[in-house]
Amino acid sequence: MLKAKNKLGIVFFPAFDWAISPTHPEREERLLYTQDQLNEEGIFDIDGIVEYKPDVATVEDIDRTHFCFPDVDHVTTESHLISAGGAIKSAKLVLDGEMDRSFALVRPPGHHAMKVVHGARGFCNINIEAVMIEYIREHYNVKKIAVVDTDCHHGDGTQDIYWHDPDVLYISMHQDGRTLYPGSGFMQETGGPNALGKTINIPLPPTTGDEGFNYVIDNVVMPILKDFNADIVINSAGQDNHYSDPITNMNFSAQGYARLNDHLNPDIAVLEGGYSIKGALPYINLGIVLAMAGVDYSYVREPDYKYKDLKQDPRITKYLKKMSEQVLRIYFKDSKDDTGKLMPGNYDVRKKEIYYDTDGIRESQIESIMVCEDCRGVLKIETMSSVNPLCLGVEIPINACERCISEGYRILNDGIEKERFTHVQLIDRVKKKYQRY
Amino acid sequence: MLLGVDVGGTHTDAVVIGDGGVLAFAKVVTRHDHLLSSVHEAIEKVIENISPEEISRVNLSTTLTTNAIIENKIEDVCVIVSAGPGIDPGYYTMGKHFYNVDGEIDHRGSEIVLIDVKEVERVVKKSHKDGVRVFAAVTKFCTRNPLHENIIKDRIADQADFVTMGHLLSGQLNFPRRIATAYFNSAVWRLYNDFADAIKSSIESHGITGDIHVLKADGGTIPMEYSRKTPVESILSGPAASVMGIVGLCNISGDSIILDIGGTSTDIAVFADGAPLVEREGIELNANPTLVRALKTSSIGIGGDSAIHLQDNRISVGPSRLGPAMADGGSIPTLIDALNYTGHSSYGDIDKSRAGIESMQAKSSMDAKTIARSAIDYSVTMIYNEVQRIVESINQRPVYTIHELLSGKKVEPGHLYIMGGPANAMESLLSEKFNMQTEVPEHFRVANAIGAALARTTVEIELFADTEHCKLVIPNINVMKKISIDYTLDRAKQDAIEMLRDHLHTIGINEDENDVEILDSSSFNMVRGFETTGQNIRVRCQVKPGVMHRYRDILKQC
Ligand SMILES: [Zn+2]
Ligand SMILES: [Zn+2]
Repeated sequence: MLKAKNKLGIVFFPAFDWAISPTHPEREERLLYTQDQLNEEGIFDIDGIVEYKPDVATVEDIDRTHFCFPDVDHVTTESHLISAGGAIKSAKLVLDGEMDRSFALVRPPGHHAMKVVHGARGFCNINIEAVMIEYIREHYNVKKIAVVDTDCHHGDGTQDIYWHDPDVLYISMHQDGRTLYPGSGFMQETGGPNALGKTINIPLPPTTGDEGFNYVIDNVVMPILKDFNADIVINSAGQDNHYSDPITNMNFSAQGYARLNDHLNPDIAVLEGGYSIKGALPYINLGIVLAMAGVDYSYVREPDYKYKDLKQDPRITKYLKKMSEQVLRIYFKDSKDDTGKLMPGNYDVRKKEIYYDTDGIRESQIESIMVCEDCRGVLKIETMSSVNPLCLGVEIPINACERCISEGYRILNDGIEKERFTHVQLIDRVKKKYQRY
Repeated sequence: MLLGVDVGGTHTDAVVIGDGGVLAFAKVVTRHDHLLSSVHEAIEKVIENISPEEISRVNLSTTLTTNAIIENKIEDVCVIVSAGPGIDPGYYTMGKHFYNVDGEIDHRGSEIVLIDVKEVERVVKKSHKDGVRVFAAVTKFCTRNPLHENIIKDRIADQADFVTMGHLLSGQLNFPRRIATAYFNSAVWRLYNDFADAIKSSIESHGITGDIHVLKADGGTIPMEYSRKTPVESILSGPAASVMGIVGLCNISGDSIILDIGGTSTDIAVFADGAPLVEREGIELNANPTLVRALKTSSIGIGGDSAIHLQDNRISVGPSRLGPAMADGGSIPTLIDALNYTGHSSYGDIDKSRAGIESMQAKSSMDAKTIARSAIDYSVTMIYNEVQRIVESINQRPVYTIHELLSGKKVEPGHLYIMGGPANAMESLLSEKFNMQTEVPEHFRVANAIGAALARTTVEIELFADTEHCKLVIPNINVMKKISIDYTLDRAKQDAIEMLRDHLHTIGINEDENDVEILDSSSFNMVRGFETTGQNIRVRCQVKPGVMHRYRDILKQC
C-alpha cells in the first residue's frame, strides 16, 4: 500500500457546469481527463492523500484584496467565488495543521487579475492566489509569503497586486513577454519603491525545456527563496509551459513539472493556466500530486513523450546561465540600491493603461503609493474604464503607520466630498473595514 | 415464499417469509470449518413445518469468501497487468505471481502502445509451469477499452481454469482497486464454485426448487449461477443483511440512521430519502480497497459485551471484549451489566451484574450508580460522535459542479432505528442523546435473515460514449458498440436503462419490479483548437438496493 510522506490535501473542483464559452479553452472539459487519470491511478486511496471540497469565498474576502468596480457582484460569478474559495480551503488545510501540503486543483484561474477589477482579462476575473494570501494574513499569524508563478504567461495580475508589498515575494518564470501574452514580466520589473526586489521576473526563451526550468529553479529561485525566508511558499502552478500546450511555445514535460515541485517543495500549489487538457494536464497534475505528497513519480510521462525531440538547444542553456546571474544580481545587489527613490512622505505615481482581452475593456489608471519607511504605505488608485466612469480606491495596508492611516482617510474623505468619483472603495486592513461609498 | 439464510460470525439464521409475514425462523451455531453443514442445518430447522416446494427463492448471505481471504486460505493467482505511464504498478503487487507487461491505453480508450503478446505468452507459460491455474488480467483504463484484457485472456486460453478480466468487475475507474478485486476474485473462484455446487445440492436435497441468489455487500442479490464468475461480489455481505432487514421491517422514509448494537460492536448505516447510502468507491478487505460495491456502513467497538474499564477514576467502555457479560456468567462487568444495574434492562442474572458493578467501587471514588451511569453515558456518546462523524463526512463529500456545491442536498437524519441485543435497553438513552425519534423493530433479532430473504437484485453500470471515436462501452456487462457522430446524452440515458434491463433478463431476473434509475449523467463538449469534435458522454445507472415489492408491506409494523 502506498503511503504519502507528506500528508497532501487536494481541493478538486473542476466546475463541470461552467465555461467562458463552449469552445473556449476555459471550458467544462478542462479538468475532466485529469479527474479520470487521478481516479484511475487510485490517488485518493493513497494513505495520506485526501480530497476536499472547496469553500466559497465571501464578498468580504474579495473586497479585502481587490478594488472591484462597480462592485464584486458585477465582476464575478459563483464560479470565481468557488475557485477562490478552493484556494482558501487549501490554505486552511495547511495552516490549521490538518495537512502538510495542499493543492487547489480548481478553475477558473486568477493570476492575470490585477488590484483593480473592471472585468475579465487573460481568462481571470479575480486573483485567487491573492484572495487566498489576504485571507491567510487576515486570519493567521503569517508575515512573509513567497509566490513562485510557474505559469507560462507572466502573472501580471499577481505582480500588480504585490508590487508595493515587501512581505510578499513574487517570482515569475514565464515565456519571454516579447513572444507571448501579456507582453510583460521583464527582468527590470522589480517592485515599487517600498518593495524593491520583491518582484522577480525570469523571462525564458521559447522552447526552454525541462533542463532549463530545473536549472532556473535550482540556481535562481531556490537561493532567492532561501534568502527571503518565507513562512509559506505558494506555487502558482500553471501548466501551459507544456510542450503540447496549444497557446504557448515551451518544451516542459510532466516529469519536469513533478521534479520542479519536488525541488521547490511548496506548501500550497494553486492551478493556474494549462490548456492541453487531454495530452498534458492529466499527467502533469498526476506528477505534481505525487511530487507534493512525496510519492515516487518516476513512471509519470505523457503517452507521446519523446526525450529526443525535447532536448534543449545548447544556446538556450547558455542564455539561461547568463540570465540567471543577472537575476541574482538584481535580487541580491541592484534592488538594495535606493538611488533615485523619493523621500518618505511623497507619493510615487504610476500611470497605467490596461487592456482586458477576455472582456474587451480598456482601463486608464493613476496609482499613487506613499513612500514610507514605517509601513507598506497608503495606496491610492484613480481609475476609469470603458465600462466605469472615474472611480477611486484607497488602501490602508496591514500594520500601517499613523501617518498612512490618517492620510488614507484624508484622501478618502476628500474623494467623497469632491464628488469626482462614481464609485469609491476603501480597504482598511488595520480596522478590517472594507467599504464602498 | 422466500427463504433467507445469513451465515454470521457466531450464528447462522434462517427465516421463511410468506404472505402471512415471517412464517418461521431458526438459529444454529455457525461452524466455521464447515459452513455448508451450518446452512444445511439451519434450512432443515426452518422448513420443519413448511412445504419446501412453495419456496420460490432462496437468498444466501455467507462469510465463505470473506473468511477465506482474511485467513489467507486462497488459491495462487497469476496477475497480469499492463499500466502505461503513471504510478509504478509494482506498488500494487498482489500475490507471488504478479507480472507487468508492456501495453498502454489512455483515458479516452485509445491504444497508445500494443500489448506485448510475446511477454504475455512467456508469463502464462511460466505460471502454468509453476502450477498456477487461475489468472487475472487487468489493464489501466480497460473500462474505456477492454482490448488488451481480451487479448491477454485469449493468450491464456486453456492454460487456466479461470481468468478474471478487470473490466467485467466494474465500470469504475481505479486501477489499483481493480487489481486487488480481480486478484481476490480469481483467488476464491474455485472455493466458491465448489461451495455453490454443494449448496445447490444441499438445498435441492430439502426438496426446494426455487432459484438461489447470493447476497452482496451493497444489500442486493445476484443469481448464484451468475455469481460463479464474480464470487468476489459475495464478500462482506453481513452488515448489508441487517440493514436490508430494517428496510423490510420498517417504513423508512427521509434521512435516517440505523444502529445495529451487537456483542462487541455497533454497526452504523445511513439512509438518505429512505434508501441506504452506497459507498462511493467500494469496500476494503484485508486493508485492500476493492471495487466491490457496498452499503456505507461504519463500525465502532462498543457493544453489549464490551468490557467496562476504570482508569485514573475515569470510566470507558470497549473496544475489547474480555468474555461475556457477568449477567451471562462472565467475570468482568460489561455494558449490559451497567444497563442491568441502572434498571434499563433486566437481562440474565441481574444479581451478578449488580455485584460486578459494585465490585468496581473498591478501585474508585465513585459509587456503583455513578460507575454504571458513566459507562452508559460513555457508550452512548461514542456512538453519537461516530454517527456525527459519518454524517459530516457524507455532507463534506466532494462534488464537481457549481450547482451541486451551492444547492446540493445535505443529509440530515431525523430518525433512529435500533436493533441488536441491547436495542430495547438503550432506546430511551439514545433517543435523548440524538434528540430524534427512535424505533426498535419487533423482529430485529432475525433482521439479518429477513434482510437476506427480501433483498432483490442490484446491478450498477457505467456507460461511456465518445462520439468522436464513434464508440460506446459498458464494461461490466460486456457491451461495446459503434455509435454515430450525432449520438446524444438523452440517447445514452435510454440505452443505459435498456441495456441494464436486457442484462437483468440475461441473468434470469424477469421481475418487472426492478427499479432502474440514473445515478448521474454528463456530456462534455470535446474541442480541438476551437472546433467541437464530439461529445464525451458518461451515464451511471443502477437497480438500487431495496426489498422485493411484493413482500414490502407485509412486515411493516414500525
Ligand atoms: Zn497561462
Ligand atoms: Zn506608513
